[in-house]
Order: sequence, then C-alpha cells, then structure tokens
Amino acid sequence: MGIVDVKQLTKMYKNNRGIDGVTFSIEEGEIFGFIGPNGAGKSTTIRTLLNFIYPTSGSATIFGKDIVKDAKEIRRYVGYLPSEVHYYDDMKVIDLLTYSAAFYKVSDRRLKQLAERLDLDMYKKIEDLSFGNRKKVGIVQALLHEPKLLILDEPTGGLDPLMQHTFFELLLEERKKGVTIFFSSHILSEVQKLCDRVAIIKEGKLIQVETIEHLTKNHLKHVTIVFEEGQHMTFDLAGVVNKEVKGNEMTMLYKGDMNELIALLYSLRIKDVSISEPSLEDVFMHYYEK
Amino acid sequence: MFKREWKRNAKSLMIWSIVLGGLVFLTLSIFPQFAEQQKEVTKLLQSLPPAMIKAFGMDQLSMGDLTGYYGVRVYMMTTLLGSVYAAMLAANIVAKEENDKTIEFLLAKPITRREILTNKWLVVVVNILILNAVSLLVSLIGFQMAKEYDVSLKAIYLLTLATVFLHFTFASIAFFLSTMMRKTRNASSFALGLVFVTYFMNMMSSISEDLSFLKYVSPFKYVDAAPIINELEIDPLYMVLMIVIISISIVSAYIIYKKKDIVV
Repeated sequence: MGIVDVKQLTKMYKNNRGIDGVTFSIEEGEIFGFIGPNGAGKSTTIRTLLNFIYPTSGSATIFGKDIVKDAKEIRRYVGYLPSEVHYYDDMKVIDLLTYSAAFYKVSDRRLKQLAERLDLDMYKKIEDLSFGNRKKVGIVQALLHEPKLLILDEPTGGLDPLMQHTFFELLLEERKKGVTIFFSSHILSEVQKLCDRVAIIKEGKLIQVETIEHLTKNHLKHVTIVFEEGQHMTFDLAGVVNKEVKGNEMTMLYKGDMNELIALLYSLRIKDVSISEPSLEDVFMHYYEK
Repeated sequence: MFKREWKRNAKSLMIWSIVLGGLVFLTLSIFPQFAEQQKEVTKLLQSLPPAMIKAFGMDQLSMGDLTGYYGVRVYMMTTLLGSVYAAMLAANIVAKEENDKTIEFLLAKPITRREILTNKWLVVVVNILILNAVSLLVSLIGFQMAKEYDVSLKAIYLLTLATVFLHFTFASIAFFLSTMMRKTRNASSFALGLVFVTYFMNMMSSISEDLSFLKYVSPFKYVDAAPIINELEIDPLYMVLMIVIISISIVSAYIIYKKKDIVV
C-alpha cells in the first residue's frame, strides 16, 4: 500500500468543476509530480487530501489512514506548503515559526538550521516580507517538524533561481531520509528535474500517471528538419503530431514507425535534421491536445 | 493556540476595558453632584417626554438613588458597549482566519476543527469575563466616592451577572455568524447590526404597548435593569431563554464549522 492512496476522489463545487474520479497512489520515498495548468484541479486535490474541503465522493488514505476521519493524526506527519503563503501579519518570522513548532515536537536546532540554509531573516515582521521571503518562511514551516510526507503546491513561485536550487537540494536530502514528496506544479522543467513519477491532470480528470523516463521515452520523438531553399515543404506521414513550420524549418512530434520516418527523410532534400527526446513540455502538449 | 489567540486580542481588550472602565467611573463620579441637584433634576425629568423616560426605564427607577442611577446610566453603557465589544470579538475571531487566509496554516497543523473553535470560544469567554470584572471593580471604586449614598450591592452583582449573560448571548450569536461567513466585514457588520437593532427594539417595546411583543426578541429586555433592581432577581424565564440561545448558537457553530469547505 502506498503512502498516499486516492480512489475515485471527486469534488464537485456548486457551479464549477473540481476534480472527477481521481485515482492514484504514491509510494514511500518517491517524489511524485502532479502537473497541470492552472484550474485543472491540483489545489482542489491537495485541499481535499488535507481535509480543508470534503470530497463529494470517493475516498483517500494517507499513511493508511482516512483523510476525513483521521485528519488530525495525518497532519502530524505532513508538511504542507501552500501555493500562496498567507500568515498572521502582526507576527515576526520567529514568532510564527515558534507558534508553528508548538503544534509538534520540534528542536530549536532544526529551526535555526533551516532558516540559515534559506538565508531567512527571523526578526522581520511578516507583513514586511517580499513574496519570495514569505515563501521561504513557508518552506521552513513545512519542513520544521520533519514530516514523513511533504505536500508542496507550486512551491517554487517567487523563489529566485539560487534559492530554488537550495530548495531542491533540501528536498533531495529529505528524500534520502525516506520522506515522500507530493510536488504539484505547472512548470514542467522542475518536475522533470526532480520527480520520479508524474501524474497529469486536466480539467479535473487524471490523464496519465507515468514515470518521467517512460513519459519522455514513449516512442515520442522531437524532430526538426531544415529544408533546402525552394523545396516543397511537404511531410505527410502517419504518426506526425504538432507539425509547425517556421521559415524553412519544420518541427514536429513523431510517434510512428522509425523506419518510415527515416525512409521519408531519405527521399527529401534537406539541409539539416535532428531527432531528439521530446521535452516534457512537448509530451505535455501532446497529452493535452488529445 | 489559546495563548496566541489571547495575545492577539489582548490589546483590544485593554482598550475596551480602559474606555468602559473610564466611562463607568466618570458617570459614577458625577453622581454626588447629580444627587444634590436632585430636585431640579426631577423637575427636568418631568419635562422630558414620557416616551423617553419609559425608553430608558426611568419611570421605574429613581435617579436620585445610587442603585437606580447605576441601573439607568452605568448599566446602559456596560450592556450596550459591552455587547458591541462581545459581538465584534466573537464575530472576528473565527472569520478572521479565513478572511486573512491564515486558516490554511492552522488547518495544516495537527489540530481538529473542534479544537480550533474551542480555543477561540474560550478566549471570547475569558475576555468577556475580564471586561466585566473591570467594570464591576471600577463601579465598586466609584461607589466609594459616593460613600454617603446607599447602594444595594446585591442588585449591582445581579446586574453584573445579567450583563455577563447578555454579552455571552451576543457573543455566541456572533460566533455562530463567524463560523458561517468567509469575510470578517460581513460577520462583524451582521453582529453589530444585531446588537443595535435589538437595543432599539427594547426601547420600542418599553414605549409602546403595541410593540411589547418585541421584548422576547431583544436580549436587552431580558436583562432590563428595573425589574432586577426592584425585585432583586433575574427573571428565570429570561435566564433560560439566554442559555438556550447561547447553547443553540454554539452547537450550530461547531456543526457548521465541522462540515464547512474551507477554500482560501
């Protein structure tokens, strides 16, 4: 059984769609990406898992415990970083973190270490912090009690690249300790860099759960052809998707037979060609257009 | 968490205590002068429209007597201002978390929603008790300044008890509103509106026989000073009514909050 088990989870709002029959499972110790555009249902899923909102139907367990009935037990071992960090404006950073720590058993040393790693000024008022610095407070707060499961909702927004790097390092260290990470994002490259498996969500429905490796090696190739001047730029072949022409350069995704591709290329007068692994971005677009 | 909520609301408690205490003290401190000029005052009172006299309950209480004076002038402040404070405090305490989106922080902690409400309600209760303790204390000091006049301490204690119940009644209704609403603005304006409308209703019900049915609607009527001072007891029917209102509001608050979808 996984750390997180979601079965047919559905949340309907009065007027708009939430999530519909989402089913997936996260194994212990993996970094699980959860990707989709804004409004696809990522945050709804997370909020349901944390019991901020109640599921309309379906169920889910975390650590084998029911998300509704055992919400308090579960939260003891979960660290949550919301996409937008909102804290009590009247508090100083240190006040907030001590307040947060008071809900768990936390050592002072851990607090100091994390704050130092992230270069966080503990004695500033929260209302004076920039968006990125608030996010840092959120990160410390999520990691503080050494949770077994980290739920991160678009965690990198507002962090500068250097801080992002430190943050990813921290995550990888946590993973080494056996922590499971649920990483929601709409930025593909960071998911690609970090995650073991990824679930793609679109319009409230889960489309696919794949390992990153599998997703990018799904016979899908990114093909760029540069034609010679004056050539007829025709390239009709079964299995070509997302064909785009720019000047005498043509790019496409190809998921058909390799031999046919090579045969067709052989028959053309071309200046240059490259066949490469598709970026997750390409794969993603591909899933979305289906 | 109690500590944190306590701290957050301490400043406003202090301000309210000082203001209310100050007003009570000032009002009481002018009593000796007031009593001296009683004859003229009585004349003045007689020149007031009878409706106004009824509205403030001055027909049943003697303004020349310290207890009566307290019942009319001081009591109006402790009940009305205190209710405003109680309603504002309770209306904000839960809704503020959602309004400022900090509830996301709290709900991610190992704490149940029931515990969140319990902690917050306790803070409300303690704050109301402190405010009333301050006002009682100031009153007792104020009475020392008018030593030569008799005051029925039993009546004063009963009035204070009635005030506490009144504050709890408004606080519990506001607390219930607070769990229902997402915006503090809505919760506190509703709660404040309730306090003023029921206060107004109480006055109306005293003035006009036709409107006397309003007395069951207004908690201010439940704790009317005149019967308490004259009979030295709070009408048990009204006591039960307040306890029922408080219980229903608090229980509904828990039920609603437990089932609420909290989206920030």
